Amino acid sequence: MSDNHKHGHHISTPAQLWAVGGALIVLTIVTVLFARVIHLPYPFNIITALAIAFTKAGLVAAFFMNLYWDVKFNLMLLIASLAFFILMVAITLLDTLYRIEVVPSF
Amino acid sequence: MANHSSTHPAHVQHHFVDSEQQFDSAKMGMWVFIVNEVLFFGGLFCAYIVFRTWYPDLFTQAATQLDTFWGAVNTVVLIGSSLTVAMAIRSAQKNQQRGLEINLLITIALACVFLVIKYFEYSHKIHIGILPGAENYTFEGIDHPLAHVFFGIYYIMTGVHGLHVIVGIGLMLWIYFRARKGEFGSEYYTPVEITGLYWHLVDLIWIFLFPLLYLIE
Repeated sequence: MSDNHKHGHHISTPAQLWAVGGALIVLTIVTVLFARVIHLPYPFNIITALAIAFTKAGLVAAFFMNLYWDVKFNLMLLIASLAFFILMVAITLLDTLYRIEVVPSF
Repeated sequence: MANHSSTHPAHVQHHFVDSEQQFDSAKMGMWVFIVNEVLFFGGLFCAYIVFRTWYPDLFTQAATQLDTFWGAVNTVVLIGSSLTVAMAIRSAQKNQQRGLEINLLITIALACVFLVIKYFEYSHKIHIGILPGAENYTFEGIDHPLAHVFFGIYYIMTGVHGLHVIVGIGLMLWIYFRARKGEFGSEYYTPVEITGLYWHLVDLIWIFLFPLLYLIE
């Protein structure tokens, strides 16, 4: 935040950007280790993989896409898109999870 | 009417109050497009979720045919390219012309590396008979009658993502040639910022595709 604030735009320092990039690569290695070396029982393997993926996505959105310093409206747009995605999946699963025969034509 | 060019910088279009409002509007427009992209890929992730809840065994068996190593390498390549595009935006903000051009070129190069690795992954699968569609699929190494369904999902999701990478390369070449003409600096770098947002989205989607397709156990 020590950089100049012409127009009030946030300018990240190279150290900040490299730290975020480094954290993303470390988390990639961690997620591969969990899947290939430390075998967690179901469903914890999926929960861990998704938790790491969402952490990485959060880092990218906050510090590469600058949502952390941006107007809150853009953050609201992203959260709204995720809310509607969850709605789409939930309504679809209400059908597909409760079918007597999965797909009759298969 | 008064001549607006006397009070406005050249890059500000006449329907905006000032440079700042133009920048914020462009960025918000890009975020609305990202909402559309999240829901577009959301439909594909929805198909993935439905089929995985129906056939969990299919996913654990079929995923063994995907190469974790090259999937992980491509993840690191895309993270690296996200970093260089963020550095390109910083260079534009700091009026560092050379830094802007070099970082854009590295980003384009990394995007090409991603596609080359993807090409080798695809051609290996096609060679052993893992093709999308029940009629084309001839691979016999997976003991599941619906093995082609997993690879249908795999090819569509990674294919549409790959298409986004190709579009991204085109956009960054366009930004690069405009940057070489000296069009961008601390006063005006909106196209660099917007293209950066698009490229981070491409990275973001791969962050989910990698564990969900390659790391199933």
